[in-house]
Amino acid sequence: MSLPSSGSGDLLVILRHPPHGSSWLREGLDVALVAAAFGQAVSLLFQDEGVLALLKEQQAGPLGQKGTAATLDMLAMYDIESLYIDAEALNRFGLHADTLQLPATRVDAEAIKSLLNQHQQVLTF
Amino acid sequence: MILHILNRPPSHSRVYRQALDAMAEHDRLLLIEDAVTGALISQVEHFQSIAGRLYVLQEDLVSRGLDSHCAEAAHIVDMEGFVRLTEEAEKTVSWY
Amino acid sequence: MRYGLLVMGAPYSSQATHSALRFATALLTQGHQLESVFFYHDGVYNAARHTAPPQDEPHLYDAWCALHTEHGTQLHVCIAAALRRGMLDAREAERHGKLGHSVEAPFELTGLGQLIDLGQNVDRLLTFAP
Repeated sequence: MSLPSSGSGDLLVILRHPPHGSSWLREGLDVALVAAAFGQAVSLLFQDEGVLALLKEQQAGPLGQKGTAATLDMLAMYDIESLYIDAEALNRFGLHADTLQLPATRVDAEAIKSLLNQHQQVLTF
Repeated sequence: MILHILNRPPSHSRVYRQALDAMAEHDRLLLIEDAVTGALISQVEHFQSIAGRLYVLQEDLVSRGLDSHCAEAAHIVDMEGFVRLTEEAEKTVSWY
Repeated sequence: MRYGLLVMGAPYSSQATHSALRFATALLTQGHQLESVFFYHDGVYNAARHTAPPQDEPHLYDAWCALHTEHGTQLHVCIAAALRRGMLDAREAERHGKLGHSVEAPFELTGLGQLIDLGQNVDRLLTFAP
């Protein structure tokens, strides 16, 4: 679970909240997209309940809440391809890589330390 | 060195564990707001792994009537000390 | 040093605004500069011009305005987060056909790009969240 050498950049956005229950995830993703649009090298770290953001089967809410699945599909268009996911949280929720909407690199605590160190700026949502 | 800032106590949220996971060898952790209860003698064991690098904001202890319950393992800093910690760090990360 | 703050807590609901203001005062006292405060998430409510707390409580809105007047700190409010929450300035109110407005100078509705700029232009960016 070592960190790829590309694990450095301008901005690391840590997403710790699941979709739908609050706007943290959506607003965190918005920051990532805008930073990328401004030419920054952006990485995302899905941590704790944030790993639930990547589940394949999520959809819009009953009141028409858009959720975040569509935003995730836009990441590649904005050249945000450095996605990391907290392996411990994945295990805790009993999730496997094949249930995820997007490929993300599994990281342990050591790799998370490196990620924080290798980015100029870290924002948590 | 990164200054990590935590405002949720271990008794309320697991976020302190993610902060600890993310802390490198020389990083420091500052407890503010509700997180200051993490510096109480009965709670401070949660932060054993970062002995010597745990800080707690004095005014948030005092306003909660907790300053006399604070463990010696936590360095108490005032607002000026908070600013100094940010000067000494390359960057800060907030956990909430 | 040059500082920037990201404030994401609503005033009076959480301690985030109080902490941010305390930190702002302390850094200015120590001779640093506070370039800008960016309000995001529920932090956008800090820009509500009709804020009217009881007299024996701190007036957080006035405290932000004082930072701007005395130290030139810019007060930037994320426009997307603000509009969703009904925080419109006069121009946006007119554009959306709404009577009255909630946001006015020295607070300024602006895009998230300002936050990205701020992160690049200051030595330290601190987040105060609920």
